[in-house]
Amino acid sequence: MNSLERILRATRLEPVDRTPLVPQLFGHAAVCAGLSLRDYLHDGEALAHAQIRARERYRTDAVFAFLDFGVEAEALGAQLSFGDDRYPDVVGCVLGADDDPARLRLPEPASAGRMPVCLRALRTMRQRLGDSALVAGAVAGPMTASAQLYGIENALFLAIDDPPRLAAALDFSTRLAIRYGLAQLDAGAHAVIVFDPAASPAVVPPGFFREFLAPRLGRVLAALRGGGAAFTWLNIAGPTAGILDCYAHIGADVATFDYYLSAAEASRLLPRTCLAGNLKSLDFLDAAPDVVKREARGLVAAFGGRGGFLLSSGCEIPPEAAAGNIAAMAAALNED
Amino acid sequence: MNGPHSSGPSTEAAFQPLVDALLVGDHKLAAAVAQHLIEQGCSREQVVTDGLEHAMGLLDDKCTVESFNLLEIMLVGRAVSAVVRVLYPDGYAPTEGRATFVIATLEGDVHDLGKNIVRMVLAGKGFRVVDLGRDCPVDDLVGAAQREGAAAVLVSGLISPVVSQVRKLRPALRACGLAHVPVVAGGAALKQLRPEALDVDYVAENAFDGAHYLERHVSGAPTT
Ligand code: B12
Repeated sequence: MNSLERILRATRLEPVDRTPLVPQLFGHAAVCAGLSLRDYLHDGEALAHAQIRARERYRTDAVFAFLDFGVEAEALGAQLSFGDDRYPDVVGCVLGADDDPARLRLPEPASAGRMPVCLRALRTMRQRLGDSALVAGAVAGPMTASAQLYGIENALFLAIDDPPRLAAALDFSTRLAIRYGLAQLDAGAHAVIVFDPAASPAVVPPGFFREFLAPRLGRVLAALRGGGAAFTWLNIAGPTAGILDCYAHIGADVATFDYYLSAAEASRLLPRTCLAGNLKSLDFLDAAPDVVKREARGLVAAFGGRGGFLLSSGCEIPPEAAAGNIAAMAAALNED
Repeated sequence: MNGPHSSGPSTEAAFQPLVDALLVGDHKLAAAVAQHLIEQGCSREQVVTDGLEHAMGLLDDKCTVESFNLLEIMLVGRAVSAVVRVLYPDGYAPTEGRATFVIATLEGDVHDLGKNIVRMVLAGKGFRVVDLGRDCPVDDLVGAAQREGAAAVLVSGLISPVVSQVRKLRPALRACGLAHVPVVAGGAALKQLRPEALDVDYVAENAFDGAHYLERHVSGAPTT
C-alpha cells in the first residue's frame, strides 16, 4: 500500500495497513531545506523540492503546495509585506469598507501574483511523485478570502451594516476559490484543501456559518469534486464543535479538527467522515518528544475501531518547530 | 436591568439612551446621543463614567468564557470608539484616561482582531490605550511604554514565533528602568502558556479577564 492509496482508503473509512501520517507541514519544509520563507513562497520549484525533502525526512504520506493566506488577495492587486522568516501580511487591502466587490474581476491563475508559484510546485511534485503520495493543493475559503480583500474587521462589520455586500464578496470569493482550485487540479493536485480560518467560531458565530458560509463552501467542494479531485477536504482551525456536524452536508470527505475538540467528540459529530487532527500546533515547539508521541498514540488508539483518520496537527505545525517533535509523531506510528 | 449606580436615578435615566445605544452596538446613534449629552451640559468625564463604563460593566457581566460573541463585542467596541471620538477627537490626552497602557502584536504576527477588542474594551472602561498596531518590534513597544508613562504593557500573540519575543519584554523594560511596569499577555498562542513560561505578570483568558487584572493593578488592589 503506498502513501496515496493509504490516504484514499482512509478517506473512504476502509481498513489501512497503518494510520496515514499527514502533518500540516508547510513553512517548516523551508526551514528544513535551509530556505528563507520569502524564497520558499516565491519559487515553486524550490517549494516542491523542500516539500519532497520534508516528506522523506519525516516519512509522511503527503506533500502540500500551501503558500499563505495572502495569495488570493495579492492576485487581485493587494500589496503584501514579506519577511525572511515570517508569512506575509496584507498591507494594502484591495477593497475599502465602502467598495463594491462587483468591480473585481477573477484573476488568471496562470499569471496572477504568486498563483503560478503554486501551480509550478504542484506540477513538479506530481511529476516527481506520480501517484505514490498525496499531492495536495490549497485555496482560501470564502470567508477568509473576503476577510483578506476587505480586512477582517471591515468584512465582519459588513455582516451587520450591509449583508448584501458581504454576500457579494462571499460569492466572488467562492468563484475565486473554484477557479484557483480547478487550476491546481489541472496542474496535478490530487486534491485541494479548502482552508477557511476566518470561518472559525473563534471569529463568526455558528449561526452565521450555517447560513452564509456552509452553502458557499459546499459549492467550492462540489466544483472541486467535479473537476476531478480524488476527495474533498475542509480545514477550519479553532473551536469548531458548533459547526463540525455540517461538514458532512457541505460535502467534505476529510475534515480537520483542532485540539479544542477531542477525538471522541469529533467522531460523534462526524461519524461517517474521515477526520484529520488534532495535535496541538504549539506542542511541536515547546513540548517534549515523549509528550507528542503519547498524544499521537492516543489519537491512533482512539480511532482504532472506527478508521477514517489521518494523523495530523489541528493547524499548521509552526515553521520553527523542533524536528524531534515531528519525528516523535512519526515514531508513534512505526511502533504500532 | 441596571447595575448599582453612583450618580442617582436622574443621571441614570439621562444616560440610559447612551447605554442602550452602546449595548445594541449602534455606533451612529451612540455618537449622536453622546453629542447631545455634551450639548446638554454633561461633562466628558460623566459621559465616560456613567455611559461608557456603565455599558462596559453590563457587557462584562454577560461575557463569560463560555458565552463570548465576538461580533457583538466588536459592534459595542465600534460604538465605544465612536463616542470616544466625539468626546476626545484627538484621543484621550495622557492626563485624561484612568491610566495609560501600550499594546501591540509583535513582529511577524498579523493577527490583530483580539488586540483591537482589548483596546476597545479598555477604552470603554476609561483607560487610554496607545496601540502600536501589529508586526511591532519589542524595542518599539518598550520605547512607547517609556514615552507614554504606561501603567502596563500589553501584548497579544496568536502565532508561536512571538513567544520568544514576549520573553524579551521584561529584560528590555528593566534595562529602561521600567522593572515595575507589569506585562500582560493574551491571544490564542500566548494563553496556552503560563505566566512563568512567558516571563509576564498575567496571561488573560479574554479581554475582560485582562481588563479585570488591569483594573485591580491600577487601583492598587491585590492582583492575584
Ligand atoms: C482569523 C485567523 C487568521 C486571519 C487573521 C486576520 C487578522 N487580521 O487578525 C488570517 C487568515 C489572516 C490568518 C493568518 C494566519 N494564521 Co491564523 N488564525 C485565525 C483564527 C481562526 C482566529 C484568530 C482570531 O482572530 N480570533 C478571534 C480573536 C478575538 O481572539 P483572540 O485573538 O484570541 O483574542 C481574544 C483573547 O485571546 C483576548 N486577547 C487577545 N490578545 C490579548 C492581549 C491582551 C493583553 C489581553 C488582556 C487579552 C488578549 O482578547 C480577545 C477577546 O477576548 C485562529 C484560530 C484560533 N482558534 O484562534 C488562527 C491561528 C491564530 N492562525 C494560525 C496560523 C498558523 C496562521 C498563519 C501563520 C497561517 C499561514 N501559514 O499563513 C497566518 C499568519 C500569518 C502571520 N504572519 O501572522 C494558528 C497559529 C498557530 C501557532 N500557534 O502558531 C492559529 C492559532 C490556528 C491554530 N489553531 O493553530 N489567521
